Amino acid sequence: MTNMPLLETTALSKHFGGVSALRDVSVTLNQGETLGMIGPNGSGKTTFVNAVTGTLRADSGSIQFAGTRTLGFAPNQLAAIGLVRTYQAVRVFGGLSVEANIRTAGLLPGEAGISRSEYDELLTWLRLDGLPHKEAASLTLFEQRRLELMMRLVLRPKVIMLDEPVGGLAVTEVREMINLLAELKARCTIFVIEHTMRVIRELADRVVVLVSGEKIADGPPTEILRDSKVIEHYLGTAHA
Amino acid sequence: MSARSSAMNSWLAVAFAVLALAAPFLLGDSRFLAFVLGMTLINVLWAGGMNLSYGYVGLMPLMFAGIGGIASYAMVHLTRVEGWSFWIATPVVSVGAALIGVLLGLPALRLKGFYFTLCSLVIQTVLTLAFIFFPKYTNGDTGISQIEPPDWIGGTRLSGVWLDFALAIAAVLGVAIVAWIVPSKLGQRFIAIREDDILAESLGINVTRYKIIAFFIVSLYAAVGGCFYAGYVGFISPRAFDVLVSLNVWLMVAFGGRGTIAGPVLGALVLAPIPYLLQDLQAIRDIIYGALIIVVILALPGGVYGEWLKRRARHRQATTDSGKLADQRT
Repeated sequence: MTNMPLLETTALSKHFGGVSALRDVSVTLNQGETLGMIGPNGSGKTTFVNAVTGTLRADSGSIQFAGTRTLGFAPNQLAAIGLVRTYQAVRVFGGLSVEANIRTAGLLPGEAGISRSEYDELLTWLRLDGLPHKEAASLTLFEQRRLELMMRLVLRPKVIMLDEPVGGLAVTEVREMINLLAELKARCTIFVIEHTMRVIRELADRVVVLVSGEKIADGPPTEILRDSKVIEHYLGTAHA
Repeated sequence: MSARSSAMNSWLAVAFAVLALAAPFLLGDSRFLAFVLGMTLINVLWAGGMNLSYGYVGLMPLMFAGIGGIASYAMVHLTRVEGWSFWIATPVVSVGAALIGVLLGLPALRLKGFYFTLCSLVIQTVLTLAFIFFPKYTNGDTGISQIEPPDWIGGTRLSGVWLDFALAIAAVLGVAIVAWIVPSKLGQRFIAIREDDILAESLGINVTRYKIIAFFIVSLYAAVGGCFYAGYVGFISPRAFDVLVSLNVWLMVAFGGRGTIAGPVLGALVLAPIPYLLQDLQAIRDIIYGALIIVVILALPGGVYGEWLKRRARHRQATTDSGKLADQRT
């Protein structure tokens, strides 16, 4: 692989009391790549995103993002240098209009922000152009998910970490979201947690599997999804 | 915001400014009414500051009055003992008190919601005790009386109508500054923190830094109001800056409508005169006051003005929706 790692964690660990949520997790995300992360509920996927984006502080290990050691950085500092994330439960400023949501997102100190034409292009692409004055809380879940993406993209991120981007969407919407994310691949490097295998199969260039806080597999989706160890953990056949 | 509502907002703002600045001259004949007006104007200023914090950042600082007290005592000390001018002492002590406020509030500012409020209550209590236990500067429980009104050009004192007029200018400026901050980038960040601080932080906003900035500005309002209070009433004591005063100012914001410009002004205009106007009903005054609070909280949780805005928006939505339906039918 000629790509350089844009984001790299080395032996990242996080304990909650006696429970180890992450155990020596080493993951690399290369420039331009889409990396999927799968694993059963409670396997530490969201904890991993929390630790990398500064929401939680990892107990040990290191994180390197765009050439900077970022362990201990606050979420706002990471956002300022191009590492953003979305949330499993959609999170927008419900009481504000769509426009105010996007404007608020683009308020990074010292950032010039994107140009008007780029802004309009993003808005049209995410089909939010008809909604600027609507209150964000009154949008459908799918619209809110698209708004979430918009709010990240105005920050011109290098890496976007998506925590279950199609969670709760209707079947047809999942299809549309996958198409949007496929186009998003051209815009930035993506890290995506998903339970919907279709998302992983269609989007991910590489997949890591997390089980009980440990990485048990790392490779191309076609191989990983056939791997017996993964199937065993995912489908729970081990104890059947 | 629609053109219609922003036009209405400018009308409201102009009407308020004109009325506030004219009121000292209109009510000047009755010193009693003029005094009630002066107290109301100080509370308009205070409510404006409290609104910035409670209404726009979502923090309820109960040490508000305490910070006003620090500035007030310091101003009185500097003008009486050191011979400073009121107009120099006030900005100096206000910045000083605001810095002290930020320092005291620093641990609390990392907390949110209820925990912040609780922490600020503790700080307020400590400040009230400090006012009592440092009689060298505060004259303890007895308080300081016969504080001279602000000095004016040519060795005269600012008094009567012109002092009321100065308070009116301070109140109008105070509200104007809030109205100017809210739509600015700074105001947008405040609102983002109020709406969802975790989301705000993940979008690059340094939440703690902006809370500190907000808290500094709020403390300035408390302090400037405290200085005017001393110069206007002529008497200060720890009771003038205790937690009940913080709560009163908070109530004006909640009553009128937190997070709106006009609401807290309305709240101060309605609530601040009540204790004076109901003086004859001393015995039931607090009951009336309390009942009013309960009614507003139960019936109008967004405050009087906030609720009115909400209803109007809903009504307008309903009319445009039925308009659209009518369009589709034709």
